[in-house]
Amino acid sequence: MTDSLGQQKPVNIKAQLQACRSKEETFKTLVTLSKTLPRLSTEEKTEQNKIKGCESAVWLIMEENDGRRHFKADSDAKLMRGVLVAILSLVEGKTQTDIQQMDLKAELAELNLSSYLTSSRTNGVLAILDKIKSGSEHRDNQHSPKQ
Amino acid sequence: MAFDPLLLRPLFPILAQSAYDHPLTYLDNAATTQKPLPVLDAIQEYYLSFNANVHRGAHFLSDRATNRFEQARDTVAKFINAPEQSHVIWTKGTTEAINVVAYGLEHILEKGDEILITSLEHHANLVPWQQLAFRTGARLRIVPLTSNGEWEPEFSHYFTDRTRIFAATQVSNAIGASTPLRTMINLAKQQGAFTLVDGAQAVAHYPVDVQALDCDFYVFSGHKMYGPTGIGVLYGKNHALEILMPYQTGGEMVRHVSYQATEFNVLPYRLEAGTPHIEGVIGLAAACDFLNAQDRLALLAWEQSLANHVYTRLLKAGGIEIYSPEKNTTLVSLSVPNIHILDLNAYLDSQGIAVRAGSHCAHPLMAQLGVAGTLRASFACYNTIEEADRFCDVLLDAIDLLNDE
Ligand SMILES: Cc1ncc(COP(=O)(O)O)c(C=O)c1O
Repeated sequence: MTDSLGQQKPVNIKAQLQACRSKEETFKTLVTLSKTLPRLSTEEKTEQNKIKGCESAVWLIMEENDGRRHFKADSDAKLMRGVLVAILSLVEGKTQTDIQQMDLKAELAELNLSSYLTSSRTNGVLAILDKIKSGSEHRDNQHSPKQ
Repeated sequence: MAFDPLLLRPLFPILAQSAYDHPLTYLDNAATTQKPLPVLDAIQEYYLSFNANVHRGAHFLSDRATNRFEQARDTVAKFINAPEQSHVIWTKGTTEAINVVAYGLEHILEKGDEILITSLEHHANLVPWQQLAFRTGARLRIVPLTSNGEWEPEFSHYFTDRTRIFAATQVSNAIGASTPLRTMINLAKQQGAFTLVDGAQAVAHYPVDVQALDCDFYVFSGHKMYGPTGIGVLYGKNHALEILMPYQTGGEMVRHVSYQATEFNVLPYRLEAGTPHIEGVIGLAAACDFLNAQDRLALLAWEQSLANHVYTRLLKAGGIEIYSPEKNTTLVSLSVPNIHILDLNAYLDSQGIAVRAGSHCAHPLMAQLGVAGTLRASFACYNTIEEADRFCDVLLDAIDLLNDE
């Protein structure tokens, strides 16, 4: 399957976000990153792939190939697409056991994204992280687009 | 003489801070306003010098607390021109006040009766009526807006001889439009319906006269009018309050209790079970005093001029859908085609500007306007023209930044 991260290298994403010195710089970087996220097709944007608890619409598709997890995601909000690029860069191509052991919240905080994690913002980033974790826990394919 | 908001700023020290190295620009006043020092002082004074439970102990502090508590009821009654202070019931806020009425009137409804609301209602003035309709077999009916956001020219036929309750907001929190209340209340009265006005978005801006409105119930929240959170008001005419079955029972609202029966207390206590939010009541009275000390019409004219200034600038800039009226409103509600309101909100936030992006607890209204949500800048008496201009400048920057595809 296609690499959902386009040409972006995870290490670049990390460096770009960590270099941000202000909320405004983080905003602009997320807008830039958002452009690297391949958009999902209308058929892929199913109710089943949609994440509940987000103010913007977010769709997440997870697949397993040779024991590794692959992700595709989309949102109708640009900033959220940038955040998705950052999140997916952390987990793309990892095994479910690896993902299970990761502290995704802490890793996003290292990327200057902690303000997107507070539950009061109800932007659903925590719901996305939950889905990524639980999806890998159950090793199931129920979120695959072909089902 | 022109009103100068800068004279009020020292009363709101919270506004003097920066947010992410930008001056904090608070334009989310329709969600909740900031609190002036006299309100904070009154709450502190209560805890420093007269904290005690009210209506209970016969001792020095309890007498002082009870006196101030009942004085506050008088202050609030005068603030909305209620004829009697016993017609002022303390609630947690607008939402609870509407629920007190919706549960309290359940016993008068029969299957096939109609509860009438409008398209502009906040969920707080919709869901309690919808659920009441479910419980009783009554029908919830809506006075609609036309597709261009105006009232239908002929809406009197929505008021029928089955209309038992008519509930409407005075001012819409989502788009800032006002309801033609006089006409609607009249129509409702001709059908013998109970009338309730949701004043949550009105009290901070408009001098309110419940006798002139002639509604049976008027409800509002303290926190949207410079008062504390957790306190609100249910005003009612005597016969209207008397007909309400108490929504909560317990201490304070009773006169005599045996295992066999309970005799309820008189108004207002009958509808106020349990120890009330005393500090909230004291703070709310201080907020009324604060507003009473201002030239209310000058404040209103100022707030409306800020909203109109933003409206005019954004209309000129083009490419922005504005849902609020051009005039006679204190907020601007908008969206930009092909740009998500949360993205606009995030950029404004990064520049220290606080607004609200979302559906404003009005899903049916948003559906009718054909949007998922809007971005709302709402003004209060302490906002300046510079802040209104900053909002416009930064919004237009955000549109440029996000509009590149
Ligand atoms: C028009 C309107 N009605 C009701 C409410 C509910 O008020 P509260 O949450 O204070 O009970 C609000 C608050 O946003 C409102 O704007």
